[in-house]
Amino acid sequence: MRKQGKAIAMISGGLDSTLALALVRRQGIEVKAVNFYTGFCITETQRRKGGRADGSVPRNEALRAAADLEVDIEYVDISGAEYLDMLVHPKYGYGANANPCVDCRVFMMRKAKEIMEAEGADFVFTGEVLGQRPKSQRRDTLRIIERDSGLDGRLLRPLSAKLLPPTLPELEGIVDRELLEAVSGRSRHRQMELAKELGVVDWPQPAGGCCYLTDESFAKKFFDVLDSREAAGEERRIVPEDVVLLSTGRHFRLSPRAKLVVGRSEVENALLEHHVPGRARLEAKDVLGPIALVEGEPTWEERMLAARIVARYGKGKDASRVAVEWREGELVETYEVEPERDEARVEALRI
Amino acid sequence: MPAPVRTLDTSGRLCPFPIVETAKAVRVLDEGAVLLVISTDAGIATDMPMWCKATRNEHLGTFRDGASWKSFVRKRAR
Repeated sequence: MRKQGKAIAMISGGLDSTLALALVRRQGIEVKAVNFYTGFCITETQRRKGGRADGSVPRNEALRAAADLEVDIEYVDISGAEYLDMLVHPKYGYGANANPCVDCRVFMMRKAKEIMEAEGADFVFTGEVLGQRPKSQRRDTLRIIERDSGLDGRLLRPLSAKLLPPTLPELEGIVDRELLEAVSGRSRHRQMELAKELGVVDWPQPAGGCCYLTDESFAKKFFDVLDSREAAGEERRIVPEDVVLLSTGRHFRLSPRAKLVVGRSEVENALLEHHVPGRARLEAKDVLGPIALVEGEPTWEERMLAARIVARYGKGKDASRVAVEWREGELVETYEVEPERDEARVEALRI
Repeated sequence: MPAPVRTLDTSGRLCPFPIVETAKAVRVLDEGAVLLVISTDAGIATDMPMWCKATRNEHLGTFRDGASWKSFVRKRAR
């Protein structure tokens, strides 16, 4: 008879992690699921902004997967300074964009190890598939993640287990290796079959990441913050408020010391209102237009330029002059400006 | 709805924090006790029933009340 075990599942709610969960559950192993909150989840941000363009509110897939399989789930907030510092100084570098996937996995697995120990569990498992992602799911990087997280031998990838060396829970008889899988690569053919076999009927479509760090336009804004801080003689760093603002509005780099963020919708305008302290707030007077924020120390010319861009994105864009209110703490000024008409110049400033 | 022994107001907190706070509150509740969670995040309407199913607590109902939502959760008996 097999030994009764307990495991910690790292789940996103995508098909792979849902299948991994089902594979371990069917062996009668007690499972506690964890989902890590990084602050970079696109779906979560969409929910915060009132749902998708078609009005639907995306589900929380990790919760949905745990609910379908009746597995206890805990959210772990890792979005603090330690995580942000890792993003700025990744030991294993970035993927195609601002995504340090290997370091991020190591970071999460370390937390999972702490949870495993606190819960008295035997191992941690994930939905990782060998060869599915170019950087973080190669044989060598899967090994690095296991080693650097301190989970040596206690990190199981049920979907690819038969292609990887046996883990301790397999050797100790807690997990039956024969009931695990040998999936590799990007094709999801075997996963579809497995979903049928395991009775998994609900998973998010389309498949793929939900992380802003893998998004090209987000990455530009992310590195812009680091580069401009460095150019202004400051430390390369990201703070939690940056993360919210990076996914909100159009961003214009006025100089290393000044950036303009212009709201694109009513929801974004409302979100920007929460970040006024410490920044200048711009809004056209007398005509409808977006809320905008300027952060840093703009020169007089940059203030005028920011006001012209704000005027350009409002209903007064064809007027000869627009009054733009500049509010900065106690200071309230009104600038009469011509809306910026040089589209090439506006685009050149776009981050 | 049965009278809650505690009301947790998560107004202004966004997904997934209403659920994170609910989990903390339920942990220290007596078995069978009812918790009322108030949230301004529309996601609570789908999240709370799913969280209850996953954690085997009883979801008694989630109702819209103006700009917020009220969720009633009964802690499971072990």
